[in-house]
Parts: sequence; structure tokens; C-alpha cells
Amino acid sequence: MKALLTLFAVIGIIGMSSAPAVAADAPAPAAEKKEPAKDLILKGDAKCTGCHDEADVPKPTMLELHPQVLNIGKTKHGTVADARTPTCTACHGESEKHLAHKGSGKPPKPDTVFSMRTQTPVETRNAACLSCHQGGNRIGWQLSKHGSQDVACTSCHQIHTAQDRVRDKTAQTEVCFTCHKEQRAQMARVSHHPVPEGKMACSSCHNVHGDNPKQLVKSSVNDTCYTCHMEKRGPFVHNHQPVSEDCSICHQAHGTTAANLLKSRTPFLCQECHSHSSHPGQTPGQPTTRTTSTSLLGAIGRGCLNCHTNIHGSNSSQNSATVGRFRR
Amino acid sequence: MTHTTFKLTTLATALLLAYGQGFAQELDVAELSKPSSSVSLGVGNWSAKRPQQGIHDGMRDNGAYGLFDADIVKRDDATGTWMTFTARSLGTTTRELGAGYERQGDCAANLRYNELTRDNPYTFNTATQGIGTTTLTTISAANPARSEVTLGTQRKKFDLDLVKHISPELKFAINFKQETKDGTRQWGRGGAAEFSVEPIDARTRQIEATLSHTGKQLQLSGGYYGSWYDNANSLVTTALSTGAGIYYLTLPLDNQAHQLFLDGGYSFTPTTRGTFKVQYSRATQNEHLATADIAGLALATAPTNLNGRIDTTLYQLGLTARPLRDLSVVASLRYRNEDDKTPVATYVTTGAGPTIVHNTPYNYKTLAGKLEGTYQLPENFSLIAGLDLSNQDRTLPVGNLVAGTDTERFVPFRAGLDETTYRLQLRRALSDTVNGSVAYLQGKRKGSAYSGTEATQSDQINPIHIADRTRNKWRLSADWMPSEAFSLQVNVEAAKDEYGNDAARPYGLRDGTSNLYSLDASYAISRNWQVTGWLSHDNTRANQYNARWQQAAPNNLEAQRTTHLTDAEDALGLGVRGKVSGAFNVGADLQWTETRAEYPSDITVTGLGTTLTPYPAGNNALPNIRNQIVTLKLFGVYALDKNSDLRVDLIHERWKTNDWSWLFADGSPFTYGTATDGTQVLSNPKQTSNFIGARYIYKFQ
Repeated sequence: MKALLTLFAVIGIIGMSSAPAVAADAPAPAAEKKEPAKDLILKGDAKCTGCHDEADVPKPTMLELHPQVLNIGKTKHGTVADARTPTCTACHGESEKHLAHKGSGKPPKPDTVFSMRTQTPVETRNAACLSCHQGGNRIGWQLSKHGSQDVACTSCHQIHTAQDRVRDKTAQTEVCFTCHKEQRAQMARVSHHPVPEGKMACSSCHNVHGDNPKQLVKSSVNDTCYTCHMEKRGPFVHNHQPVSEDCSICHQAHGTTAANLLKSRTPFLCQECHSHSSHPGQTPGQPTTRTTSTSLLGAIGRGCLNCHTNIHGSNSSQNSATVGRFRR
Repeated sequence: MTHTTFKLTTLATALLLAYGQGFAQELDVAELSKPSSSVSLGVGNWSAKRPQQGIHDGMRDNGAYGLFDADIVKRDDATGTWMTFTARSLGTTTRELGAGYERQGDCAANLRYNELTRDNPYTFNTATQGIGTTTLTTISAANPARSEVTLGTQRKKFDLDLVKHISPELKFAINFKQETKDGTRQWGRGGAAEFSVEPIDARTRQIEATLSHTGKQLQLSGGYYGSWYDNANSLVTTALSTGAGIYYLTLPLDNQAHQLFLDGGYSFTPTTRGTFKVQYSRATQNEHLATADIAGLALATAPTNLNGRIDTTLYQLGLTARPLRDLSVVASLRYRNEDDKTPVATYVTTGAGPTIVHNTPYNYKTLAGKLEGTYQLPENFSLIAGLDLSNQDRTLPVGNLVAGTDTERFVPFRAGLDETTYRLQLRRALSDTVNGSVAYLQGKRKGSAYSGTEATQSDQINPIHIADRTRNKWRLSADWMPSEAFSLQVNVEAAKDEYGNDAARPYGLRDGTSNLYSLDASYAISRNWQVTGWLSHDNTRANQYNARWQQAAPNNLEAQRTTHLTDAEDALGLGVRGKVSGAFNVGADLQWTETRAEYPSDITVTGLGTTLTPYPAGNNALPNIRNQIVTLKLFGVYALDKNSDLRVDLIHERWKTNDWSWLFADGSPFTYGTATDGTQVLSNPKQTSNFIGARYIYKFQ
């Protein structure tokens, strides 16, 4: 039998694009002769792995990795010592017509198919996952932006592989940028979080399964930012109002052309809210020589922050008008 | 959103390159189904410094770096016990290590350690003394001896996860994180536009303990989240070397927050589900104020401790249902109250503007609702209509718009904000070849009457985050996949914001637009050669109206200005992957990005005041800024045998900018002050560096 399987494997590889059909077609007459198949990975998987065995090579291309069915064994879903581990049919359905197929030609599809061109409704596909994974931070999945927009779990996750790239922070953006083109562009800008460098991932800030605003990991923008930038939390003696409200009023977390993820350069950013006599209303320019004039330094160096250096808030109790303006 | 599965090159390809050879080699059940491990060891070299591109990757300097990564996974099949060890970038200052033990379905423990650098891309030529400490001296001499200094921070984090499955439906998990952040950050002296450096020496700790129940119908998850910030320093004293010009700069103080939370969901039927979320948090900051200890600095009556406290409560309800066969509905209601209970006290009684200044706690109470319906149409089309409502109360704890802290602002304020957003989307999915959607969104934000500020001029602006706003947004996306080998994806987004203004309040952002166009394509030339490419353009434009009044005579309007702000980006990505032979795979990736920022202004000089020129004397108009990044990466992987590969990487990286942020108009380096040491900021507008690296990869099971 091993020789026969090896032969199928060779045929499967040589057959290239017709590999699945060859693998699916050929075993039928042989199956009548061989002993009942044994489970290869999962409990009761013999009725599936009788055909979808090590010789069952889907058409792989370098753009789209088609993991083999047996790769499930490398994953948590293939750890049978865990009593919770599902069977093939727990996810793909009983698929009686698929199993009953004999002879040549393509068999009917299994009841639940997760591949690229599947006709299985998203709700049905996701139900297979949520039957076990509805808890924890996925309680609100159905209300989440992704959940309510018919994103399938398998649009992002690969199940039959040990390397589910969306769970690898160095590769996760490849998946997210498939849809989020604006964020792909922003991440390429000069000021960005260390996501392109692989030190952070989209999921460092976003719980893509959750129902928080903007699908953030915490219930607000600021609470999410504070997980790494806790020094901005305060409360301060002198709070800068927009800082206390929402970091994203001034910052674009995905990337900007201005330093420090600022949405705009100073003084333009500051002049979105500040109108005042003297230098706050300045027309910014580039100094021709050394100066300490605040009217000349709104755009150069750290701009307004040359002096208003504690712009996120001040803890000074000094009896000076400057402290409320974040200069101490 | 569609269920498109177009994938952007690298990882899928890398995985296939790494593991796909198994398809052409001996096929074995164990090889396919047992966990795999790999260890790689090598060395790489950057030919030149990379101050800009090396901000975060720990390879700012030229020279050799060790390349050591490991991903070791072992599983005892009989017990379902996993042992893992991971290592990344061990040869740099951004190294990561992890070790894990898991008895699947029973318990798990994972410990991770990682480092992260953030190096300032500039070099500082300065005579400033005490950098890195809390006592800084700015040399007053005209031309003292200076030295070159680089600034940056490094984070080091430990992260521990402990999990115990108490029963099949009940899980208890604890996560503990501790991170230290050390280094230096560019700062200002506050009292003058002069160079200073903030010493960074802080620690954060976070702990989250969660008990979760996951049943078929009912899911609950509740627990505690605590976080603490501890700063080793609380005050920096800066002074001139003459002893004059002493400024006391405060630092963030120790603070902490404690939260109790409970999330729940119940599936009434397979298509009807209700959820809820409840959170209560208390954040406090009660460290002693360091400025209170400096004689004569603070009011005798000013508190020596802020006793800051913010209580935040959150309630959320959600419902998803399918009342008709073709109609599904999503609805939610969310209430969040951020209540700053910090006691209000007087801290300042002198100076211009408001002569009395209190501390400034703010409260935000937001009620938001969402209703969305999706109706299935024939031919796999669906129509989605949504309505979002938000109502926010924004209050100060003291004052009535006439007296108290409410009159001490420099920016007008609104006590209430309402926003209504309508969404309409037509989507087609589940098609063999073409999927796509077109969506339209309109949002209107309005607020209550503006309250005044301490000065008339300050009260003539519509602050961007509370101004009346009408937003219109379109989004079109389409995927075309005529065959397994070829796919094309198109995205177009357009948005326009219009902000309210009137004759009495004319200033602020008037309007803005943003556009995004992107095209992605992939083509499998053969089983062995594939190419991918993408192209994108986006731009954001805004028209901003501002005015300047004379300082000595604030009623004298000197000039009015409309600035036409533009940020634009063009980007291109190309990738190719090939199998030269059964044992030799190659690949290349090119990414080119160019950003442009423009600041043209229309200025009307009124003839009043003393500063009559369009730009204050001594200034030139702001030139446009163009940044360009080009990165070409090549790699080859040669299989020495079944278990080992040799990989070679080549990278060419080029960064170019004409950013004037740290330049005078003649292109010379920006120099601080006029009578101090002349600290210069040196930027490097053209940076080109090449990398070559080779590594041996050993794979095993």
C-alpha cells in the first residue's frame, strides 16, 4: 500500500495543475482493495485522509500557499491529546455527498468549504470557528466592524499551517494591508510606529475581533495609547484639553510626514485651535539666521514645542503664567 | 468588504520557499504533521550609517551585526505538551526571546523578553552639560568647545502569561508586563527656545487577570486590569552657565489605574445574539509636586499634591439578529463617562492672560448608538444601510462660562457635541471572478454654543475637534480574479470635510479633502515564477484660515492668511519569486515611496501693527518638502540538504529629503539661541547604505 501511495504522490506532483483531481480520482478503485484506512492525525479522520493523505497535493503557487490537509497536525487543531480538538467534520460538516462520491470526475464539495472561491456563506464558515472560539476577546465579534462586514475568519487566518501569518507580528501587515490600503501608505511615511520593522503589529493596538471603537484593544483611543505611553496619562496639574480627550486629535498613529506622528507641522497643527494675538497667529517661515524670536520659530526645530515643551501636560505648581501654557 | 484573498507577496512566498520544497521531496506523514523547528546563524554588514532608516531596528550604525534567530517547537503527542523557544534579532539592540510551556487544554506559561530602540535621527553638536541627568547647564559663551551627541531611548520588556483551564468551559489567565524605558529625548528649555534634553528613566507595570466562561450559548469574561507608571525623576533644573535663566521643567509623575471589567454574550438562536460590556476604572496621580519644594516658586496656598483622580465607567449593549431571511441587523448602545474628580485649586495668580489659573480637569460623557441593516439581494449582492449617533457632554467641574476655570482657556469650548452619520453600501461577494463594494458615508457634527475665552482674539476660531463639520466619503473596492494565476484589486477612496464658520468666528480649518487610489496585481507566470506589484497615490489637502494681531495692541489686526496644506504620497511595490532549481530559490522586492508636503499661503496684510511683511522680518516662505525612500531587497536560498539551507540577503537602501525642519533658509544647520553655546542640529539629508548578510539555516523536527 505504501508503494501505491508513493505512486499517487509522484503522480500528484508530476500532474501539476491536475493534482487534486488525480489524487481524488485515482484512489477510488484502489480503495476497494485496501484495508479500512486508519486515522492519520485526528480522531475519525480516516474517512477524509483516505483520500486527503500525504499524496494529496493541492496546486501550490508561490503567491498563494495551499497547505496540505495533513499540516493540521502541526497545529493546535492537530493536537489530539487535547479533548477539545475538533475532527475534520466538526469544521467541514458531515459532507455525506462528498464522502459518497465514487468513480471519476470531481466530487461534490464538502458541506463547508473555506477556500478562496467557496460558495459557503461567511456566516456558515464563521460559525464553524465560533462554535469553539466565541469566548474571551471574541465575545463581541458579531458587533465588530469585521464581523458585521462579513469578513470570514479564514479571510485572515490559515488553519492548515503551523505558520498562520496573521499571528506572526513580522508578517501580519501583509494580511491586514490586503484591505487596508490607506494604512499601508501611511506606514511607509517617515514617522511611523515600528510596524514595518516588525517590532509592533496591527494587533498591538487593535483587537480585530472586538467591538471597541476602531476595534482597539482598549475601550478608548487614549487607554490604548497609555498601554505603552503611560507617561501621557496624567492627570496633570495643567492638562492640555485635546490630550485628555483623544490622542488622535493631533496624532495619526499609522504614519505621517511630520515628526512624532503629528498630523500636521507646527504651527499649522496648533493653529487649528489656537487663535491669539502675537506669535500664536504667526505666518511661519524659515529663519535666515540665529534667533530666539518666538514669532520666527513656529515651524523650525521643534516649532511651537521649542518653548511649549511639556505639551502633553505640566505638573508644575510654579506661580507663573507660563506653566498653564506647558512651558514648565 | 469582500472575501478577497489577494496576498501581498513576501510571507506566503517565504513560507513556501521555506517549507514548500517538501512538495517535491519525499512525502511523509510525520514530516507534514509534526511541528517543525529552525535555527539560523549568520552575519550581516551595513556599509554606511542609517540614522533615518535605523531609528527602530537597532542597526543605525554601519558595521557588522550578528544574525541569530530560532524558532524551536516541540510537542509531546501523548500528552499534548508544547515546549517552544523563540529568538529574533539577537545580534542587535532590538532582540527578542521567548519560551513557552503549554499542556494544551490544561495550562500554559509563556515568558517573553524584547527590546525596542528609538534613536533620534539627528546629531547634536552641543556644549550643554549634564545631558542624561536632571541638572542641565547651557553654556552662555559665544563659541565654547562642543561635542557631538546622539539621543535615543531603549525599552526592555518582560511579558509573562499564565493560563489555567479550570474546566472545558472555564479559563483563568494572568498577564503581567514590566517595561523599563531609559535614555534621552530632545526637549526645550521652556523659558527660552533653547536646546535641552529630557532624561528618561521610567518603568511601567501592567497586570491583567481574567476569568472566562465559554459555553455554547453564554460567554462571560471578567477580571481586573491594573497599570502603574513610575518615573525615577520628577523635575529637571536647567540654567545658563552664568547662573541666570533658571527654569524648572517638570516631568510626568507616578500614576496608576485600576479597572474591573465584565464582558458577556448570549446566543439566543444561531442568528440572534446579545452582548454587554461593563467597565469601571479609577486612575490616580498623587505624587508630591517637586516644584512645591523650591523656595518662592509656588503659591503658599497651592497644593503640594494634585490628588488627581479620574473615574471612568462604561456600559455597552449589543444585539445582532436576522428578523427576516434576507435581512440581518446589528445594533449597539454605548455609554462612557470619564469623570475627572481631581480637586480644583488655584496655582497661579500672576501674569498676563488669565491672572488666576486653576488646575484643569475635564469630563467627557458620551452616549453613542449604532443601527445597521444588511439586506441580501439577488446575484450575491447585498445592501447595507447604517446610522451612527453620538451625543457628548463635555464639562468643566468649576465655572459657569462666566467665572471659574471655564474662563481661563485660550481656546473656545463647547459643552455639547452631537454627531450623526449615515452609511450606505452595496456589496457583491461570493462571485467566482469579481467581488467588490461601493460605499457612501455622510456625517454631520454640531455642537452647543461656544463659550468665551480670556481674550477676544482667541474666541474667533472653530477648533478642529469641536467645530461643526460635514463629512462626505466614498469608497470603491473591486477584486477581479479571472484565473488562479492572475488577480487585480482596485481601491478608490475620496472624502471631503467642511467646517463651520461665520463672520464672528471665521478662523480655523475651513475644509479638507483626501483621496486614495491603489492598484494591486499578482501574476503566476508559472509554478516556479510569480510576480506581484502595487501602486498607490494618496493626497490630503486642507485650507486653513488664521490671523495675527499685534501683541502690544491686540486689537490691531496685522494680517490674515489662508494656507493651502497638502500632503501627498506616491508608492510602488514590486516583488518577484522564483525557483531556479529544486534546491535554489530567489526573490526580490522593490519599494519606492515619495511624500510631498506643501505650504503655500495667501496673505492679506492689513496695514495695522508693526509686522507688515508677509513673513516676519528675518524669515523666508516655507519651501515644499519632499522625502524619498527606495529599498531593494534581494535574497537567495539554497538547500544544502533536506535539513539545511544557506540564505544570502542583499539590501540597497536610499533615503533622500529636503526637509527644512532643522535648517536655516540658506541650508546651513539650525543653531539654537543667539547668546548661548550655539548648539547645532545636524541632519543628513542623503543616506545610502547597502547590506549583505549570509546565514545558515538548520531545520528539524
